[in-house]
Amino acid sequence: MSPWVPLLVMMLIGLGFGVVNIIASNFLGPRHPTAKKNMPYECGIEPIGNARIRFSVKFYVITMLFILFDMEAVFVYPWAVVYKQLARSGLFVFMEMALYLAIIFAGFVYVWKKGALNWED
Amino acid sequence: MTTVFFLIFALTAIGAAVAMIFQRNPVYSCLCLVLAFFALAGLYVLLGAPFIAAIQIIVYAGAIMVLFLFVIMLLNLSAEERERPKRPRFLPFAVAVGGLLLLELALVFRRAPLLGMPAGQSETSVEEIGLKLFTDYIYPFELSSVLILAAIIGAVMLAKRKI
Amino acid sequence: MIPLSWYLVVSAVLFTIGVVGIFFRRDLITLFMCIELQLNGVNLALIAFSRYLPDISGQIIVFFVITVAAAEAAVGLAIMIALFHHKEHLDSERVNLMQG
Repeated sequence: MSPWVPLLVMMLIGLGFGVVNIIASNFLGPRHPTAKKNMPYECGIEPIGNARIRFSVKFYVITMLFILFDMEAVFVYPWAVVYKQLARSGLFVFMEMALYLAIIFAGFVYVWKKGALNWED
Repeated sequence: MTTVFFLIFALTAIGAAVAMIFQRNPVYSCLCLVLAFFALAGLYVLLGAPFIAAIQIIVYAGAIMVLFLFVIMLLNLSAEERERPKRPRFLPFAVAVGGLLLLELALVFRRAPLLGMPAGQSETSVEEIGLKLFTDYIYPFELSSVLILAAIIGAVMLAKRKI
Repeated sequence: MIPLSWYLVVSAVLFTIGVVGIFFRRDLITLFMCIELQLNGVNLALIAFSRYLPDISGQIIVFFVITVAAAEAAVGLAIMIALFHHKEHLDSERVNLMQG
């Protein structure tokens, strides 16, 4: 259990930092609200329209591709850990990852050719 | 000590899950689910699976739920949700099915042959997982790349068609 | 030491909350989140069994479940975006084209 104590302490400090700051700023800061002060801050300019606008689908495509390639990275990590051990018995362990990456790379080429990564179109 | 941590994580997971289904705003229910996933990662650490816990946080809480949050904000669903009248039409049905399912799972798990057994070996290292994954489970591993390929193509097709 | 049954209880409760949520909610995104919760309930049971058997295969299966969940989330949410552009809502009770 002991190696996890530092992680726990770090999480508690992180949580505590946020919570304490929010509570402390509530007590410490002077508050004289006026209509102007209650407006959302947009670099001093009066805000136009609603903050809840719809985002472009382009953001979604990027995030979605991030997740799928993230999954790939998760598989590569244990492979890298055991590579030396398994490579002693031949090239098999190298080839299996090469095949895996080749299949995913085909997807990457597809995304590239399809223009899903182009921001302007 | 372990029992205290178990109770904290288990109650957080269950509480966050309950909050998720009762929350009206999809953004809040998404954040509740993130909390539940963090608590589950804590349970995985207690079960001696730190690598799975790390993946749980990186992929589930860090990527999948961010994608959900993204789509909720992309479609601006929370405003739509608030205007809708509450209709718990299925409530009795939900309670009945939930109760029956819980009873059934309890009956099944009661017959599990190793309920009273002590825990097995200590923590599983990444090395052990890698050795098993790249020798015995090599076929599912290669198939998962085909699955990811299909997901990439499908999602790009669907998202790019109507913008 | 915590007995296996405690973990199984948590797993069963999480799965059931996911099922109840599917009856309870109407927007498709939250239904999808309930499915993710069910997957996680199953994952917890798998890891608990893998610890107490002890057999590491349970953890490998969880690995693949998370992969499937990632692929499923990417495609499922893309379908929802397409549906939303088509219908302007994500209400499961009003998406009934196949019902006739």
